[in-house]
Amino acid sequence: MVGFTESRVSAHHNYLVNDRLTPGFVVGNPNSDNGFFFLADSLLPGQDTPLISTRLVNAKGDTLLELYLNNIAANPAGCTNQSLPRGFRILDSSSEPLLEVLTQDFPMGHLTRIKARLFDEHGDLRIGPLGESIQVQGEAKLILDAPFIFNS
Amino acid sequence: MDTSNDLKGVWVFGDYRNYFQNRVTLQLIAKARDLADKLNTKVIALALGDRVHQWAMEYVAHGVDIVLAAEHPDLKSYQVETYCSVVAPWVEAFQPQIFLAGATSFGREFFPRLAKRLHTGLSADCVALEVDTETGLLLQTTPGFGGELLAEIVTPDHRPQMATVHPGVFQERPHNSEAVGRILYPDVDVVPETRVKLIRSKRQQTRQIKLEEAPVVVVGGRGLGSREQFESLFELAELLEGEVGATRPVIGSGWTEKERLLGQTGKTVKPKLLVSIGASGAVQYTTGILGSETIVAINRDPQAPIFNMADLGLVGDANTLLPLLIEALRKRI
Repeated sequence: MVGFTESRVSAHHNYLVNDRLTPGFVVGNPNSDNGFFFLADSLLPGQDTPLISTRLVNAKGDTLLELYLNNIAANPAGCTNQSLPRGFRILDSSSEPLLEVLTQDFPMGHLTRIKARLFDEHGDLRIGPLGESIQVQGEAKLILDAPFIFNS
Repeated sequence: MDTSNDLKGVWVFGDYRNYFQNRVTLQLIAKARDLADKLNTKVIALALGDRVHQWAMEYVAHGVDIVLAAEHPDLKSYQVETYCSVVAPWVEAFQPQIFLAGATSFGREFFPRLAKRLHTGLSADCVALEVDTETGLLLQTTPGFGGELLAEIVTPDHRPQMATVHPGVFQERPHNSEAVGRILYPDVDVVPETRVKLIRSKRQQTRQIKLEEAPVVVVGGRGLGSREQFESLFELAELLEGEVGATRPVIGSGWTEKERLLGQTGKTVKPKLLVSIGASGAVQYTTGILGSETIVAINRDPQAPIFNMADLGLVGDANTLLPLLIEALRKRI
């Protein structure tokens, strides 16, 4: 018997997670008021820029940065958002990269690769490097077919 | 979702190495979609290589329900032994009804070997595929007996029903950016060793011949009599903003490169206008031009079969008529 793993693939845009294509994924709960989360949102046809929302925290649970749809919403730790061709990079106050998001354009579609090493409020690694992309640890929804709905 | 059952549908081998190989895969996906809808089953495309994400997305955009993807450095080059060793266990495990591949140089080497390993039949160079509504069997139309007739083949007792198809026989579906499909990553832990060791590969530098895309194709046959006469077709093609194709005897005589071959063992074209000069119209040639919108034929033999399919026929010596035709076109342009 041949074993396999399964994911979803959008004709238009995908992220590479755990060496698998997916239209979108979420780690943690973006609708919570505190604690770590990471959302790589599903894009609609016509959109070619990945939409990232995240709350980065330290091991005490203090918020370092809140990113809402690629824009900094809160930045108590003095992080920097650096623009890149077809992507962006978040640097911490000592200029160490926390997160990098880069999109590769094909003639008829787009693929976004993420580089990050992110921990939750318990100090557990939730997103770490895997080859050219990331590996997600712990509870996560690895397939988002439609854009995530925020409470507010 | 019953994945095992879904994978019993219509499979298409994804050959994406260059524009034309990729086009025939997309054309086969369109036909597979049609067959799968009639059989109430799924279309599954295989994408093997060292980087297949782009192709998985493209296949879904063109109508595939499920992509079977395998990424491994050893799958980078299309090696028949390696590909057979990976794909054959998938076929044995998932049992597709139908398995299609383009009649490309790789498809023609890969599919016979795979069919042998799977103990099933293979119809090569098909020019039509349909589903028998009573039996559900795949009707595979292929030129037989040296191209003298079109044979309809079925594979009633073995699975999958395997066929290779020329580029250009079917039309690809439009790209649908809104499509979402499933992607399965079967385990490919170890790619078996192959007896062939690839040392290096280099793309052959040839003039680009885009016969399949040309709106006008001028085809020369043996009736032109010489290489010099054949070469005058290039002038006619240039005036008509088209490309030059050739029949098998012309290629055999070495008058032009084999990339211009049309028909059973060559390319299939569907131009708006096809001008056939000095070709009698043997089946092995005409199977490659069936989709032409308008065919103009010039031949000295009024009984030549090409006149049976031509919209306009000129009976006469090609070497007399060709210069007149070129001259007339020059005056009009």
